[in-house]
Amino acid sequence: MNLMRMALAVAATTSTVAALAQDCPYPAAPNDRQALFRLLSANAEAVAPTAPAKRRAVSPGRAVIANAIDAYVVEKRTSACAPTETSGDEEFLRRVSLDLTGAIPDAAAVVAFTDNRDADKRAKLVDRLLASDAFTDRWTLWFGDLTQNVRTASSIDLFYPGRNAWHAWIRERIAARAPYDAMVRELLTGTGSGVETPAPNYVARQFVVGPPHDIWDNTATTSFSQFLGIRTLCVSCHDGAGHLEAVNWYLRGRTRRQLWETAAFFSRTKLSWKNSPDPLDANRIVSVYSLDDQSTGAYELNTVDGNRPPRTPRAGEVATVLPAFLLTGETPRANEPWREAYARMLTSHRQFARTAVNRLWKEMLGVGLVEPLDGFDLTKLDTQPTHPRLLEALADHFIASGYDLRALLRLIALSNTYQLSSRYTPGPWSEACVPQYARHYPTRLPAEMIYDAVAKATAVREPLQVRGGVAVERAIQLPDPSEPDAPQSIGRFLDELGRGNRDLVERNAGGSILQSLRIMNDRLITNGIAGTEGTVGRVLRTTSDLPAVADEIYLHTLSRRPTETEREIAVAELREGPLRERAEDLQYALLNSLEFLFR
Amino acid sequence: MKAQELTRRRFLRAAGSGIVASYLLEPATLWASATSLAPPLQSSARNCIFIFLSGAPSQVDLWDLKEGAWTPSDFEPTSYGDVRWPRGLLPKTAEHLSRLHIVRTAAAWAAVHELGRAWAQVTRNPAGVEGSIAPHIGSVVALETAAARRPSDVLPSFIALDSSAIPGSGYLSAQHAPFRITPSREGLPTLLHSDGGERFRRRWRLLEKLEPQRRAGTLGKSAADMSDFVDQARDLMAVAGINEHFRFGEDDHARYGATGFGDSLVVARNLLEADLGTRFVQVTMGDWDHHSNIYLKAWDGSLYGMCARFDPAFAALLDDLSSRPGVSRATMLDETLIVVSAEFGRTVGPLSNSQRGRDHFLRQSIVFAGGGVRGGLLGKTDATGANAVEYGWSAGREVRPEDVTATIYSAMGVDYTMRRTDDPLGRGFEYVPGARQGVYQPVHELFTA
Repeated sequence: MNLMRMALAVAATTSTVAALAQDCPYPAAPNDRQALFRLLSANAEAVAPTAPAKRRAVSPGRAVIANAIDAYVVEKRTSACAPTETSGDEEFLRRVSLDLTGAIPDAAAVVAFTDNRDADKRAKLVDRLLASDAFTDRWTLWFGDLTQNVRTASSIDLFYPGRNAWHAWIRERIAARAPYDAMVRELLTGTGSGVETPAPNYVARQFVVGPPHDIWDNTATTSFSQFLGIRTLCVSCHDGAGHLEAVNWYLRGRTRRQLWETAAFFSRTKLSWKNSPDPLDANRIVSVYSLDDQSTGAYELNTVDGNRPPRTPRAGEVATVLPAFLLTGETPRANEPWREAYARMLTSHRQFARTAVNRLWKEMLGVGLVEPLDGFDLTKLDTQPTHPRLLEALADHFIASGYDLRALLRLIALSNTYQLSSRYTPGPWSEACVPQYARHYPTRLPAEMIYDAVAKATAVREPLQVRGGVAVERAIQLPDPSEPDAPQSIGRFLDELGRGNRDLVERNAGGSILQSLRIMNDRLITNGIAGTEGTVGRVLRTTSDLPAVADEIYLHTLSRRPTETEREIAVAELREGPLRERAEDLQYALLNSLEFLFR
Repeated sequence: MKAQELTRRRFLRAAGSGIVASYLLEPATLWASATSLAPPLQSSARNCIFIFLSGAPSQVDLWDLKEGAWTPSDFEPTSYGDVRWPRGLLPKTAEHLSRLHIVRTAAAWAAVHELGRAWAQVTRNPAGVEGSIAPHIGSVVALETAAARRPSDVLPSFIALDSSAIPGSGYLSAQHAPFRITPSREGLPTLLHSDGGERFRRRWRLLEKLEPQRRAGTLGKSAADMSDFVDQARDLMAVAGINEHFRFGEDDHARYGATGFGDSLVVARNLLEADLGTRFVQVTMGDWDHHSNIYLKAWDGSLYGMCARFDPAFAALLDDLSSRPGVSRATMLDETLIVVSAEFGRTVGPLSNSQRGRDHFLRQSIVFAGGGVRGGLLGKTDATGANAVEYGWSAGREVRPEDVTATIYSAMGVDYTMRRTDDPLGRGFEYVPGARQGVYQPVHELFTA
């Protein structure tokens, strides 16, 4: 079947059987601007940054400046959105562990961290997390999501060897602290086989049945969305003028021809593939893609079918389109391979840094400075971001650090803005204060992190099998959302929790009834709390002192000790019946709490 | 041939005008227009069962039988009125032929499985700009019928059986996402707490004491939404006997052919019969991708084996729906539109020499029944089955996936010309792209009245 799919894909590129143009056929409707931007209140009164204050024991309502980020956030805060207090050690530890490494902290680490009297312990913690293997796992998942590495997509099968190679490359580069711009250049420029370099898979991922122009267009528009935060797909079908006025003023001024010129950077790149028997299944084949750059060829305006309206020159226009970069009009240097020129222009443009920091900011804070993440309007950089100066400052920092992911994440993690408590105490909470960062806004954990947190909290886990690879322990280590190969029950758990498929279904932290049923009743949870070697069993073997049992279960599950009230409630419950049973009930309740599922 | 080419060209021009001309119109004119064009709708169906034969069955061996030297004699080609039918493959469905309306000149846009599949379910090119935001047909139905839900409607509007890989609610609320389940004898295992109901309630009482703020909304909107879903899930668990609707008895299991597909159709029937809010049920049946050995009787996966699973289940569904009373019409079948579709069709004529199978092909047949569908044939293909000789409907061209969706919407009283303005792309989201420009339209000819 795979063989057939490939054969058909080949046939279809050359045949006239092609889908009617459907990509951008319709005019844009009036743009009801994103709610976020409406919230960017016009009456934002500048609040003078207060003097740096000690982080601890800060009362709510007072702004704290821990680093430059806070000054830029404070200057945009209105009086209606007074900031809440800074998080305590336990809250901070859990959040920053999840954000940087995708994992809840060990119970022992919670105790050690809260007992630690070092004034600089938060910074030291962040540095430890940034240096950990778990950091590599978590940001490998992020980069895989961003670039959509997946075994099977709706328009192409990458096959597991290519998928695994791409994943291994991401992991290796993140672990080696490769600069982000270098990673993107490698992804866009590599030649040779897709089991050795990720570029062939990245380009193959843009494949669609139709003329090769569609692949070139897709590679340009996809890389623009992912790395420049600009959604250019519309201008791959028609000029911006007359359509995008209310959507994107910058793109309104761009033409389809300019998009062709940008796609033309890929027109000398040849994608091919080799089939071989699948070592894991004699009835199947696997393909490996490869890329070569040729010294001739261009983007010829000669298509009448495919996925976009016909490409034909207008009167007086030349039918051969040569590369020029959409944002600058720059053309390749003499003897510079076109793809390399594209990667150079893309990664050296300031918008590349802006887009990266906006994405990283959202990973850490839950909401982007520009939303949606690929909705930048380059003519509105002073009004579109909720915090224009902050965005530019973060971009400066990122560039100055040599595009170091860890350096930027460190800056964010050490800001008071990031460290605010998720409890809002200054007064009644209004959702309108979300983009003002008046509190830490809790977001639901991604699917993989929920699975991993349950497994860690209960200490019951099983190996996750990866097709063509070694089994992993944590879901965050899976190379794509089609895994694990086994057990499938865990795949279903992850699907239901919204991991998406890196294709048509985006990652989604929204809920559903089925998802709630899954968390309430899945055997992953009920068996986890009941395991003899699990957390509850081990805790009860060490103590039968009820407050101590309650504390331990809280530490293992919510990564904090209970409050006095919680301890009383928990102890009363433990006293009500057989201890083992009641202790399981307690862990069940905590695993189902919103606090556990959110960060 | 000539007439057909003309028609095709005319269609492409019409379609082209939808694509090219529409964006040359003055945007202001379009923006000022209402979001709906209020077209006439059939509004003849309360429910829809959308059966998707994934992999794509051979239309020329089934719905649009073309006999040749290759046709095995035990297909028993038989005439029922003007329908030639493979009685040997689909004997029980034959008894319901008068209820089926077979569109023989349908055509897909893409001959790649994943692309064609998603296209048929999200009504546009999934690789296009709207691919990642486009909701499934069932999600749009769920959204559009949400206002009519009653307090007793505890079941989700859109339930997808054995359809784990189908598209979701796109940019619409997760409330309208497909409730994806795989039927089993136990029903829906996660409706049951393995440690018992008493223990479950005790655990939740404890949680509510420990986290009293979970209902207060102080954690923000996404936490409040999550809390709502938990409440809905607990409500569902609390309905006595709710799991019975997700299960099947041994009688039904046997009568529907004792297969996974049959079990799904039993559950589809149960869910609609329960009348607890479910409006759109998708059932997916895979493995129709017969590139090789399509006629190899000894192989369980051949057309013989596939039809042996499809036929008793589909016929039993029609038996049951046509004999059980409906809520708003005489029988359940009268108020339930059934659509049998696939991502595309298969090549026609003799089998391929090397593999003895049939390959991907854009021409396909789509079968409609119930929900006000008249029964009969729509469109005619030539002797090979490859080309249309007569389209049989007012549009005078192939029936495309977009037309199928418009037909479903029209039957269910959903305005297929709706353009929403709440899409995250800010370009306006059309339920059926091009329907406003008249490029696509419901196949009204399928319906009585």
